Amino acid sequence: MFGAVVTLLLTVLVGWGLAKTKTPFLHAYQYVNMPVAFSGPTAFQSFAVDIVLRVDHLTVAALVAVELCMIGVLGWNQVMGRSEPGPARFHALVSLLLFACVGALVSWDLAELIAFWGLAGAVTYLLLAQRWGSDEAAIRARVALALPFVTDLSLLCGVAWLYSRYGVQNLTSLVPILHTNPGWTVRSLVVASILLFIGVGGRLALWPLHSWLTQTSVTAPPAALALAQAVWSVVAIVVLYRVMPILVASNSQTVRACLYACGVTAIGAPLLALVGNEPRRIVTLLGIGASAVGAAIVIFGFQVPYSTFAVAGVACVLAIAPARAAAVLAASAIAAAMRTDNLAEIGEAWARMRVSAMALLLAGLVLALSSSSALAFAFSTRSRTGLVLAEGLLLISIGALRVFMGVAFGPLRRRRAFEPDRVGEAPPASRSWPYLLVAGGALLWVVMLVPRLGLDFLDGNKHPAPSFAAYALWVAVILIGFAAVAIAYVRNKDGALKASAVAAAWLDRLGAAGSRGFARFIVAPVTEIAIRIGDRWIPAGDAAVGSALEATGRFAVMGARLPVLPIFVALAVVLTLVVGLAAPGVFK
Amino acid sequence: MIWLGIAGLALPSPTPGAVPGANIFSSPLLLSVIVWVPVIMAVAIATMPNPRGRFDTLMKQIAFFTNVGLVFVLWIAYNQFESFLNTPQFAENQPWLAAIGASYHLGVDGPGMTMLLLSGLIGIVAVLASLGIRERVRSYFCLLLLTQASINGAIVARDMFVLILFWSAAAVPIALLILGWGGPRRNAATWRLVGYWGLGTGALVIATMALYAATGGTTFDMDVLLKVGNISPRVQVIVGLLIIIAAATRLPLFPFHGWARDLYAEAPIGVTVVVAGTATRLGAYLLLRALVAAEPLAANLLAPLLAALAVLTVGYAAVAALRMVDIRHSAAYLAMIPGGITAFGLAALSPLSIAGAVFSLFAGGLAAALIVGVCATLAERAQSRSLLVLGGLAPRMPILTWLLIIGGLAVLGVPLLATFPADLMTFFGSFKTQPIGAFAVAAGLAVAAVALAMLLRRVLFGVPNPDAPGVSDASLGESWYLGLLAGALLWVGIFPGGPKLPGTDSPIFDPGLTKTMSAGISEMASPYDMPAPTPAPAPGAGQ
Repeated sequence: MFGAVVTLLLTVLVGWGLAKTKTPFLHAYQYVNMPVAFSGPTAFQSFAVDIVLRVDHLTVAALVAVELCMIGVLGWNQVMGRSEPGPARFHALVSLLLFACVGALVSWDLAELIAFWGLAGAVTYLLLAQRWGSDEAAIRARVALALPFVTDLSLLCGVAWLYSRYGVQNLTSLVPILHTNPGWTVRSLVVASILLFIGVGGRLALWPLHSWLTQTSVTAPPAALALAQAVWSVVAIVVLYRVMPILVASNSQTVRACLYACGVTAIGAPLLALVGNEPRRIVTLLGIGASAVGAAIVIFGFQVPYSTFAVAGVACVLAIAPARAAAVLAASAIAAAMRTDNLAEIGEAWARMRVSAMALLLAGLVLALSSSSALAFAFSTRSRTGLVLAEGLLLISIGALRVFMGVAFGPLRRRRAFEPDRVGEAPPASRSWPYLLVAGGALLWVVMLVPRLGLDFLDGNKHPAPSFAAYALWVAVILIGFAAVAIAYVRNKDGALKASAVAAAWLDRLGAAGSRGFARFIVAPVTEIAIRIGDRWIPAGDAAVGSALEATGRFAVMGARLPVLPIFVALAVVLTLVVGLAAPGVFK
Repeated sequence: MIWLGIAGLALPSPTPGAVPGANIFSSPLLLSVIVWVPVIMAVAIATMPNPRGRFDTLMKQIAFFTNVGLVFVLWIAYNQFESFLNTPQFAENQPWLAAIGASYHLGVDGPGMTMLLLSGLIGIVAVLASLGIRERVRSYFCLLLLTQASINGAIVARDMFVLILFWSAAAVPIALLILGWGGPRRNAATWRLVGYWGLGTGALVIATMALYAATGGTTFDMDVLLKVGNISPRVQVIVGLLIIIAAATRLPLFPFHGWARDLYAEAPIGVTVVVAGTATRLGAYLLLRALVAAEPLAANLLAPLLAALAVLTVGYAAVAALRMVDIRHSAAYLAMIPGGITAFGLAALSPLSIAGAVFSLFAGGLAAALIVGVCATLAERAQSRSLLVLGGLAPRMPILTWLLIIGGLAVLGVPLLATFPADLMTFFGSFKTQPIGAFAVAAGLAVAAVALAMLLRRVLFGVPNPDAPGVSDASLGESWYLGLLAGALLWVGIFPGGPKLPGTDSPIFDPGLTKTMSAGISEMASPYDMPAPTPAPAPGAGQ
């Protein structure tokens, strides 16, 4: 906590220093520098990785968002995380995560970015697998290592691909030469763009790369889950914003494909949130959907020539991040008090845990409003992409109110070893932290609404404010979603939850069938081949070689025992015949 | 006393000058000290009286302080090493078998210095890991020292005849160590080791004789044999193929890996550390010196084959590790992955990938040694090797847990660990020349991440198995040698260029591994400099 607070104060100090200037702070340190060749292209004669620390307005804002999330989560965890195992380990990992995220945000060298990104990824896995004694947590944490590692490798491959073509890792040097470096091709830029997007998309948890968050949403410690979601969304969106010039330099089809991927997630994630009754999983998916909206705005902003609203997407995610953390913490507090992760079994939180329930509602509201405000900058509801994202926003608002209605209202039934009357509000020392996070998110949202304060500060460009009508239209989408949920849940909450549960069961069955098929038709045959090679074929080959050598030895021993003269005569006859048959003219 | 006397011959130069070539460390016997002092100490251990094992502890101390002394000498040499020189340093050249042209020629360049540092560190770790040996202590430590001597000799040899002698000699003490102190399947492990390494040695001998004949049959000196420009391409390819076979049996690379699993599973911990850490790295070192640096034509022609073997190694090892039910078998397969990445870096044949491969020699050796060492120690402390029995060990074995996590992450090349800059340089250098192979290696690493996640889940996390034997964490004294490996991985990972005094370029006692290993790499890589990219045609050109 102390480290996070100090880092926040330092960030504010740097931000104050940057307030009057548009020139970013820049400092570089040498990490690796070694000559590798004496000839060939100059760019490839040495390999240098510099620790380039570049702090601009956007970086400051992102750092503030990250540190705010850290402080809020750590404060909440100090009370609510007392029963979690390994507190020293947890705090050490969080400090390391903060270090890695700060490093990733200030990195301007792609290799340096990979280093901090990879470190943060490893630490995130250890945080999500924090509950060492739990079998369920350990099983679900596997995907938190494997899946993001694949996407991180994709990012590494993208950076390596770019380096192999351009010999440059610094973004300041790379972007201007994307189309002027001798030998550049569209194909190479497309490959690099796709790899970079997959790498960033994995950490944004875009569908279908989202399971590392959803699978661990129930088993990971709430603080770890909140941090993983909030912090990674900020880091990933900032990195996406920085590498967008590379994507744009490839071709329009690539950019469009990335936009579609974000659009699919913006709809798919909140749609998945409607399926299933686990509150933490629901808020996780809502956060993913909202971040996808922000990412879509960033991509669209770069796609449209002479536009400046791309940074609105970043601002959207910055505002969403604390709200996501707050939602996870509030949902966790309610689930812990109710001793269940099933919305069908949760209820009466408005009466018994009003503070936490209100925090959950406000977090959902900030989530939806931040997305709508950013959309107002970027899209018209009449455009095709605008319609898609409007649908996503609608689903996000439905999901946000759904989870609130599910926990807040409806009967809290008695269960085995559970007495409803014993349910009470979270400890007083922990109640304010989700509100702090929500307030932080709301503040960032309000600042975004006023371009002069928000977007202009972030990228130094002038941004025209959307009209009030545009704002109102997007807010109306939210209100429609809220109304739909309110009607459904007021009329028949149990029926709505039952439908979700049935849909979730079908989805689980589908997922399990897919996993079984993948395991049976791909994993099992491949591993069986590997096992057969190692356990049967190679030992059989070794045995055959050994037998052959042994036979040779036996022949040699036999030959040593036989009398010499008859053997000599027989050999002479055989050799004569062979030479006679082989050599021309001997027997003719 | 003998060591002190020999070390006294060393004449450390004053502060290294800024001019390249000035004030080179002037001891004439430095490399011979590194090679022969372990032999002398082994003979001393073998001949000293030890009635009823009274001096077992003294023998262990002799072995330990021999290695400490060697590391001290190496540290002096490392600090005095002149970077950016292409010629071998600390050279010793004495005529030996003049009739056949063999000479006692030793020397070391950047990659060689890197390997010596690795060997020194692994030597200390191996001795510390062997302190628990109770039976036939004399024989064990005698053979261990001989193993280290033969590995050091193979690293510093500048004569192919000498190299072959040390190369083949390494197999003998290792085989005896496994036979004498190994697990239940030690016989199978030993004979498979002898068979595969024998095949590799045979291939190396044939390759050497082919080069010897092609160069006139007058000398075995590497400066002649490995610097030829007029050997016919066919001979080069055949020699290159044989070198690959020799290296593949040692590294190991698929499909010459049959010895690795049994050896890592059955050998004592100290022996597994030595084999995984340095003995196997000799395979890649041979590829670097005898193929990449010596035969550009053959290297270019055979690069796809080597890349395919490397990719298959990484992929096969990762997939096989998924299905293992023995923790030491899992570690054995995971330990093969850094070797595959090193070989891939050499196969990519770009200056940066070659540099990455040299770095990977060091970092991969540490990572492989750490993971096999930790898994062996963990199996010993948990009294079981079966993944079906082990489970939930993390709360009860926190020290070994963290070491296993660090070892696993090192195999994957996670930042902050030395394997990260090595893999970074390998990937960055290989995407131009071997893009498909690079993607395939990345895919293999992804599968390895899955295998590691499953291994950690089954062994460390989750609910403890009530039917498992009682477990106890390794004490600090028992595990700090593994901590040395983890510490080295972290140190080089954070400071590959060596820590500097703030605000200056003056190193804080560590001149930096990347600076040291760069000596000689540029010359090795120069035939593979990537050509300047052809300018893209101007729009409308040719119409």
